[in-house]
Amino acid sequence: MPHQCTSCGRTFADGSKEMLSGCPDCGGNKFQFKPPGATDPDPEPGSGSSDRDATAPAETEGQTASRDDAEPRTRSNSARRTADATTDATTDATTDATTDATTDTTTSVTTDAETDAAASGAEADRVEAGDDAATGPEVDAEDRAQASARSDVVSPDELPDTDGTSSRPETGGDDGGGPHADERPGLDSLREELNDQFESIRIVGQGEYELNLMELYDRQEYIISLREDGRYVIEMPGDWGPDDE
Amino acid sequence: MGLLTNLRDSVSRVTDRLFTDSEPKRIGIYGPPNAGKTTLANRIARDWTGDAVGPESHIPHETRRARRKEGVEIERNGRKVTIDIVDTPGVTTKVDYKEFLDHEMEKDDAVRRSREATEGVAEAMHWLREDVDGVIYVLDSTTDPFTQVNTMLIGIIESQDLPVLILANKTDLPESNVQRVANAFPQHETIPLSALEGENMDEVYDKIAEYFG
Repeated sequence: MPHQCTSCGRTFADGSKEMLSGCPDCGGNKFQFKPPGATDPDPEPGSGSSDRDATAPAETEGQTASRDDAEPRTRSNSARRTADATTDATTDATTDATTDATTDTTTSVTTDAETDAAASGAEADRVEAGDDAATGPEVDAEDRAQASARSDVVSPDELPDTDGTSSRPETGGDDGGGPHADERPGLDSLREELNDQFESIRIVGQGEYELNLMELYDRQEYIISLREDGRYVIEMPGDWGPDDE
Repeated sequence: MGLLTNLRDSVSRVTDRLFTDSEPKRIGIYGPPNAGKTTLANRIARDWTGDAVGPESHIPHETRRARRKEGVEIERNGRKVTIDIVDTPGVTTKVDYKEFLDHEMEKDDAVRRSREATEGVAEAMHWLREDVDGVIYVLDSTTDPFTQVNTMLIGIIESQDLPVLILANKTDLPESNVQRVANAFPQHETIPLSALEGENMDEVYDKIAEYFG
């Protein structure tokens, strides 16, 4: 059970798509990663607790990154750069410590999950996790599960709650919210999430907005339109042509 | 051929910009909602081109998209100044659909107006960052000018080194207090006017020519 919900304790197989829209039991969105060698729920003295602490937020970030849409991604350029850098570093470190198969696993975990976790701390933890995975019998299964999680799109029937954004993780920002967007159960949490990540416009409620003028002025992206479900359409600097004025 | 034509047009536009002194300055009309920005834009456009820029309304956030009137030629003292006027949506830090319900608007319309107004503020801030060469800042002289929005916008404009003309509008109303506006921004010249009645427009045009010519 490599992943465990920090709220209710439900566990998930590595690469499980069920987590992508939150815990089906309690709706929690924080999970801790438990490598096969560390299945004891009680924190071990020494390395065990630090492993859990540093890995859990990274997994949560990964889950968020895979289900969000265009708006959060606009802000994650620096995070992506961090992820790239960390990937390289982690790959090197892991290659020294483990087998080639484990290198693949560890690299992909880093690429998918890493955003803003401290590079050095996270790196050390992943090397540890890689060691455990290399000695366990589940390496192949985990590779497949993770490859599936990376490449597949979650089908709606795999999700406990219907969340339109989850099934289209890589679509552009101009996708519509659907006719019943306002009725979706996750709307409040979506708003919350967007507000946290996109502070130039805070959606207080339907038809109520608070604007951060300095943020609006400072950001290069230009918000073209707001959707009723709280999403934004923005024009990215890359789309601006020489004639756009 | 189409590509070549586009390329040629782009090149000629760029060279025109580089070498033509008479490129019209793009002047943004900024200010809080209901200050009279569109009334002023229409006044200027009607006086010098005969056209209007957009509809005016006493309901806040009537202008929810920036509107541009290009090539407005203003003649002062035998000299012509050509400007592009950009009438921008009123800038505010809060938009609430409930304020529109007081104007006998249905809730759905009010919510939509609220959303569009918010987009409008984002657009206005974007224009300020990218696309204006000077600012006419319009204030309702019957209201308190010491607001977060005014302070922030004037600060941004100053940080951009943009020429700014502050207009104390609505002098036709008895509650008008031009001095209060002047006191709020002593570092800038404040021109009183009534865009609705056309009062003191001569001085406004003099100053436009002086600041943006």
